[in-house]
Order: sequence, then C-alpha cells, then structure tokens
Amino acid sequence: MATLIVALIVGAILFGVGLYGSLSQTNLVMIMMGVELMLAGAMVNLVAFWRFLHPEAYSGQMFVLIVMTVMALEMAVGFGVGTARFRYKGSVEMEEARDLKG
Amino acid sequence: MTSVALTILGPLAAMVAILAIRYAAPALALLGVGAALIGAITTLVGVAGGARYAATLPGLPDLPLRLTATPLTAVLAAIVAVVSVFVILYAVGYMKEEGGKVRFFAQMSFFAAAMETLVLAGDWVLLLAAWEMIGLASYLLIGFWYEEDGIAEAATRAFLYTRTADLGLYLGIFILISQAGTSEIPRTLEVGGSAAFAASLLVLLAAAGKSAQTPLQGWLQAAMVGPTPVSALLHSATLVAAGAILLIRAFPLFPPGALLIMGALGGVTVVVTGLMAVANRDLKRLLAASTSSQYGFMLLALGAGSPVAALAHLTVHAAMKSALFLGSGVFQHARSSTEFSKLAGIGRERPLVFAGFAVAGLALAGVPPLAGFWSKDAVIAATYESPAAWLLFPLALVGTALTGIYVARTLRLLWKGEKQNEPVAGITWMGAGLSGLVALAVVLGFALEPLTRLVGGELPKDLLTVMLGAGVALGGLVLGWFVSVDSLLGPLRSSAEKGFRIGGGFEQFVARPALAVARATDTFDGGIHRGVLGVGRVGLGLARVSRLTDEKGIDGLIFALVRGTRSLGHRARRLQTGLVHKELLLAVTGGALILALLAIGTLAS
Amino acid sequence: MLQTVFVALFGIAAIWFGVVVFTTSSMVRSALALLFSQTAVGAMFLAMQAEFLGVLQIMMMATEMSIMAIFMVMYMMDPGGLMGMDMTHQKRLSQAAGVLGALVVIGIVFLAGWGSIAGSVPPGQQVHDLGIELMERSMLIFETAGITILTAMIATIAVALERRR
Repeated sequence: MATLIVALIVGAILFGVGLYGSLSQTNLVMIMMGVELMLAGAMVNLVAFWRFLHPEAYSGQMFVLIVMTVMALEMAVGFGVGTARFRYKGSVEMEEARDLKG
Repeated sequence: MTSVALTILGPLAAMVAILAIRYAAPALALLGVGAALIGAITTLVGVAGGARYAATLPGLPDLPLRLTATPLTAVLAAIVAVVSVFVILYAVGYMKEEGGKVRFFAQMSFFAAAMETLVLAGDWVLLLAAWEMIGLASYLLIGFWYEEDGIAEAATRAFLYTRTADLGLYLGIFILISQAGTSEIPRTLEVGGSAAFAASLLVLLAAAGKSAQTPLQGWLQAAMVGPTPVSALLHSATLVAAGAILLIRAFPLFPPGALLIMGALGGVTVVVTGLMAVANRDLKRLLAASTSSQYGFMLLALGAGSPVAALAHLTVHAAMKSALFLGSGVFQHARSSTEFSKLAGIGRERPLVFAGFAVAGLALAGVPPLAGFWSKDAVIAATYESPAAWLLFPLALVGTALTGIYVARTLRLLWKGEKQNEPVAGITWMGAGLSGLVALAVVLGFALEPLTRLVGGELPKDLLTVMLGAGVALGGLVLGWFVSVDSLLGPLRSSAEKGFRIGGGFEQFVARPALAVARATDTFDGGIHRGVLGVGRVGLGLARVSRLTDEKGIDGLIFALVRGTRSLGHRARRLQTGLVHKELLLAVTGGALILALLAIGTLAS
Repeated sequence: MLQTVFVALFGIAAIWFGVVVFTTSSMVRSALALLFSQTAVGAMFLAMQAEFLGVLQIMMMATEMSIMAIFMVMYMMDPGGLMGMDMTHQKRLSQAAGVLGALVVIGIVFLAGWGSIAGSVPPGQQVHDLGIELMERSMLIFETAGITILTAMIATIAVALERRR
C-alpha cells in the first residue's frame, strides 16, 4: 500500500512540474520537455497500477509501451516542426509565433 | 440465293458507299447496279435451269420477310437491273455539269435497290416496305432541283397522289392477310370469294395510282420536272412499273368481275392519256402521257386474262420508253428546254440521237419488226380473244392508232425546223446508255418467245389482229405525220392538253382537302401548343411566388442565423491569440473542466 | 519495505531533476537534468519489478535526451544561459496550475480506495509473457503504434525538408 501511494505521489508531482514547465516556457524545446515530464508522471502511475493492482494483466505494461511511443512521436514531430519553423523564421521562440491567430 | 441478295445489296451498298465516301459517286453507282445486273442475270440463268430460290428473313412476329426467285420475279429483276444500268450509264453523262452528284447517285442507287426488293419480295410486308421506299425515292428524285420554283410542289403532288392510292394497297393487304393467315404472296392469292373481289379492287386502286391510270394520271406529267434519267427510270422500270408489276404478280387473285373493271380502266386510260399525248406541247410531258397510255395497254392485257402479254409489253416498254427519255434528255441539254416550240429542228442537228429516238418511237408505235410490234400485237390478240372483246378490242385498236399519231407528230416536230448547233456535255456517256436501250428496243421482240416460255405462258397470236394492229399503227403514223393536231382533235384539243380535268380535276378532290385537313390539324396543334405554353406560364408564375417567399422568408431566416454565428465567432476570436502558451493554458483549463465534470458525475452517482 | 524505500528514493531524484530542468538557465544543463529525471523514472520501474519497461525507459531516454540536447543547442538563442535571460512567461499562472494539478492528483490518491494490493509479481518469465501479450491480444494495438511511428517519420521529414522552388 505504502509503495503504491509513494509511487502515485511521485507521479502526481512529476505531472505538476511538467505542467508548470510546459505552460511557462517560451521555447518550443522547453515546452516539449515539460510535456515529456507529464508523460513520465503518467507512466509512473501506470507501472504502479500494474505492479500493485493487476500484476497478472500485461495490458498495463502494454499501455506504458504505447505512451513511450507517443513520447517518441511527440519528440519527432516537435523537432520536425521546430526545424521547419527555424528555417522559416530563424527562431523557435513561441512569443513570436502568432501565425495561428484567428 | 447469293445472286438474289447481290441484286438488292449491290445498289444498297453503292448508296452507303456514296454517302460515306462522297467521291466518285457515278462510278460507285455504276458498280452497284452492275453488281445488281450480274446478280439478276445469274438468278435468271439459274431459274431458267429449273432452280428456285427462297429465303426467309426475320421480320414481324409470325410474318417473316421472304425473298423468292421464281421465273416471273427473276425476269422482272433482270428488267429492272438492265434498265438501271443503262440509265445510270446515261446519267453519268447527263449529270456531268450538275451539282449534287452524291445526292443524286445515292438516291438512284436506293431507288434501284428498293425496286429490286419489291420485285423479289415473297411476302406482302416486304413488298409494302419496298413500295413505300420507292415512293420516298421518287419523291426525293422528282424534287431533286428543289431550289427551283414549283418543283417541290410537283414532288409533293406526286407523293400525295400515289400515297392516297397506296391506302388501297394497305387495305387490300390487310384483307388478304386476315383471310389467308399468312403474308406469303402465293398463298394469299388463293383466297376466293368476296374478300378476293374487294382486295383485288383495292390493289387495283393502288396500282392505278402508281401506274398513273385515269383518273389518277395527273401527277405523272407534273413529275417531269425531275432530272431526265429519273424520268426514264421512273417510267420504265421502277415507280410506274411497280403498279403493273403488282398487278401481274397479284393476277391470280382477280375474279372475272374485277378483271373486267381492270380491263375497262386500262382501256379508258389508253384512250384518254393517248389523246393527252397527242395534244401535248412539251416533249417530256408527251412521253409521260404516253407512259400512262402504255401501262393502260398492260391493264388491258391483264383484263383480257393474259398476264404474259402484259409482262411482254412491260419488258419491251421498259426498253423503248427509257430510250425515248434518254433521247429527250439529250435534246433537253442541247436546248435547255423540252417544249416542242424550242426543240424544232433538233433532229437534223443530232442525227444519231434522233435516229435512236426515232427507232425507239417507231418500236413504241408497233412498227414491225421492232420490239413494240410483237408485244402490242400480243396485247391486241389477247383482247380479241377475251370474253370482253366487245369492249377491250376496240379500245386497244384506238390506243394503237393514237400511239402512232403521237409518235409521228413528235418525230415531225423534232425534225422540222432550224438547226442550232450547241455542244452537249457528257454526250459520250449519254450515247452509250441510249444506244444500249435502243438496241434492246430493236431486238427484244425476238426474245419474247423464250421469255414467256420461261414464265410459263404463251403469247396470244392471231393473224387477223397482227394485220389489223400493224395497219392501224401505220395509219396512225401517217396521220400524225401529215395532219395537224388541231384538225385531228378539233374541240377536244384544249381540254386534252389540260389533261381532261373535270371540275378542277383531281387537284380539287384530293390535294385541296388533304391540304385543308393538314391546315386544320396545324391549327389544332397550334392550340395545343398555346395551351401547353399557358400551363408553362402558370408554372412560371408559381415559381416566381415561391422564389419570393424563399428569398424573404427562408433565406432571411438562414441569413440571420449566419449573421448571429458570425458575430459569435467574432467574439470568440479574441480568445484565440495564436500564442502557444495561451492556447495550452486554454487546453489545460478545458481538460480540468472535463475532469471536474466527470468527478462531479461520479460523486453524484 | 525495501521496495518502498527504493521507489521513494528514485521518485525524489526524478522530481528533483524535473524541477532542475526548469530552474537552470543553461539549456545543456536542463537537457541533462531531464535525462537524469527520466532515468530515475526508469529506475523506479525497475524497483517496481517492471524489468523490460525499466530497461527500455533508460535506453530510450538516454538517446532521446542527447538528441534533444543537440537540437536545443541548435535552436536556442542562449544555449549556455550566460546572458541570464528570462525564458519564461505567465509564470505565476503556470505555477498555480502546476501546484493545483499536483495537489488535486495527490488528493485523489489519498481519497480513492485502492482495494486489495497484489503482494508479488507472478512467477515466470516476465519478458516472455509480455512478448506473448504483444503478439497475441494486443497485436493490433502494437502494429497500429508501429504504423503510426512510420507515418510520423515520413511526415516529419516532409515537414522539415527545405522548400525547393
């Protein structure tokens, strides 16, 4: 019980830190780092659920694998967009990116 | 059977090729009728050897189309093919400087193909179809120079006259098929009784219309406005001949009473149209009247009970009359007219053509030993031997005399006068066609014996009638050469020239009512048209009203909705800064809201 | 008990390095901090007996973060953080959101009833069983993930390519 609680608290704090980072940073790469941290928090939770609630169901680990895939994709696409943006504008500062303004 | 098919398909293929290629039309047409001639001769030889051909083609349900080659149909097909070949040969020259060659030769080929179909048809349906095709082809060809005044009218008149008479054929065929239960010609002809009498009279009406018998003779003279080769083909082998051919083929149907009527009709025609020919002032119209008269002879022979004599006269007449027309076509080209007053002296100017013309004319008059002598002799003998000789024999003799008179008169008018030498284009081709037919007109008389034997009959002969017929013909010739028309006919002249119109003539009785009916129908149609337009206008008004309500009502509602949505969107735009962190914040807030709602939901439940 | 200690230790490390990511002004340092943070998460996985996931997490994050460091150096105006520029905005709002989020989740952790706790991982070869799971029940999901990765690769290259005229 105690281990599960500890792991979940760690996950919650990681999520909170990531949320703060992704909201407060001005740089695209830094925002992505925040998202990575949030995802890490989620993964910790998933692993803890698997281990302490349903160790016989490997779907839990499967879920973690999918989240990892999402992280990798997020990195890849984020860097692709960043590269394109850098080519076009010479920076990836998000304060300057208002192209999507309606 | 191939040869039979070739007879029909040759000209038909030529027509298609001419229309498709639009080049070298005369050569193609010649090729087509040449193929037809080869087919017809092969068929004739085969049939003479005892062969019989018959083909059944899919047609109407229970009424298949049939083609048959019996001796009679084979002989008729050969006549049609021979005349077509010579006429088209001539037409190559005649049309040399005319426009519309493609149209002309295609229509001529079509004409020949339709006529061959009619001749070889073994059942009434196909025969009727061919009959109508001939009507169409003749309409097109008579109206060939349709741009000129009055020509379209003449073509329409010819069409109307023959169409009116065609009603008889339709009704007759209906009676025959309903009585016999089949459309096969030989079997329907075995029908007897009153049905046969009615049907034969109706068929006679149709034939009289096509062969221009009194009182339906008016259209033939008007039809002379077409090109001369058309007239030649029309009179000798196709349209006009179709009537006589129909009667010869349907001969077994006729009971004695109908035969008498037919003979009387033929006799009257012989005399009436003979008089018209004598009185005429125009070469081609004279020849047209003469055609009616000669077909009257054939009806006389049929009425006297001798289809063989009629067939013999048809054969010989085809050669003679087409030769005469071809000669007149040369004269027409030389003087740009066919009136006798303008043609005076043309005989001296073109001795060769005139000689051919004269030989054909003398043959027509029945001078021995030319072809016309034999056939006319057979007709006179047939009338002499018939039970109704008291009526038919004198008419035949009068007709022979009249023939002599108008032939002699024509020759005199053409011979006497001044020469004017004008070149004629294409004379070689025209000469070729003409000389071939003149040769036939001379020698065909000697071929009549084997021909009739092939068909299975015998030409009636009588020494007395031979002497009498030849004497009367010669007397007529002498009269015609030496005595003027006015003193011959006296007070009859002017009315004969006008075609013996009674009370406005056929024009008054058929053409006017037909046109009036057409006009009334047109007015009726116009009324319907206006009615339909009115309905359309009401519909338009309704549509306009509905458009108005659409624009003010439904459209207004929709536009209001659109305006509201747009202003809402305008306000929502302010939220959207395009800055990533602001949007992220919004997303987080949204996610938190959703989560809160879910939590409240979970707690509430 | 030992497990709880290890999980807590690695958890604290992960959180500490996570905070460092956003507090240091040097980009290289923050990338490295993130790398350590993720590695600590991987170590937590190992401590919770998820062998395969733990190893995978450590290996993947090592590669990922080094790539990230390279990109960061490429794209940042001040990679070394020498100019002392403030690279943040709406700081207070973000802090509030982060703290609130964490507190809410922690609240849920304590409020929720977790039911019975499994004492131990079932014996046997975990990696083997996970492989069976991947290739049997969750095959479709797994394959979909693979296709998605391929699509993302192609799309990313297409987006990042220099525009040719």
